Amino acid sequence: MNTPRDKALLIEKVANAWRPKDRQRVAYHPNWYDLADDERIEAFSATELQRKLEAAMDPEGLSTTAHAVLARIREAG
Amino acid sequence: MIELDQYLPAIAAGDSQVFGLWMASAEPILRDSLRRFASQIDAEAVLQEALLRIWQVAPRFEPDGKPNGLLRFGFRVTRNLAISELRRQKKQSPVDPGQIAETLESEVKPPDPLLRRVIERCRELLPKKPAQAIEARLHSAGRLPDETLAQQLGMRTNTFLQNITRARKLLVDCLQKNGVELFQGERV
Repeated sequence: MNTPRDKALLIEKVANAWRPKDRQRVAYHPNWYDLADDERIEAFSATELQRKLEAAMDPEGLSTTAHAVLARIREAG
Repeated sequence: MIELDQYLPAIAAGDSQVFGLWMASAEPILRDSLRRFASQIDAEAVLQEALLRIWQVAPRFEPDGKPNGLLRFGFRVTRNLAISELRRQKKQSPVDPGQIAETLESEVKPPDPLLRRVIERCRELLPKKPAQAIEARLHSAGRLPDETLAQQLGMRTNTFLQNITRARKLLVDCLQKNGVELFQGERV
């Protein structure tokens, strides 16, 4: 079982837009599997808030999710 | 409600910068559609893959004449990918497909100019370490894991993560003090 501190740190890690590269399937964050169901829901909410802040701070209005997708598009192109 | 299909011709022609404009408004709605799956799938990973598939299919997409056709299509792509992920994990879908149209009509919004103005001032007020951590995440744009970002800043990973959490809380507090509410229910 995670301590409250461990839990908070794992949730914060999963809120990063970084995901492993895998062309064969949807690649989950490795620490997503370490979270309990309620912690995954907290990670979803933290990510949602984080992306809204990121988009507001970005000159183009894009979150790190959108930038990550654009990077994948440009890598493939 | 704004009409995101204004971007469709350029997206179909392969203009990824315009797809970015489309994502700026579409991403929150598509993410919200994954809320009910959040305990069962990695919504961030599924959303990125769904956005990539929408881009790949956009040149062949044919609008049906109703508003936000590409977004409604994207909704189905996202939902189907989530359900496919559940099947891969042998889990049952928690989603009612009948909710899709209602959500679309109520939530397509342009970026909030007040939020953009206020957040710049709030960001300048952040203490050094939280400001560095959040800047590193922004600059990385999903390219690097937190361990690498922390190393680049000379921080332990746990310290880096605590600084991200602190930065987010300080930004939200500052925005609230300046009359900006990010969501109707608070999520920090």
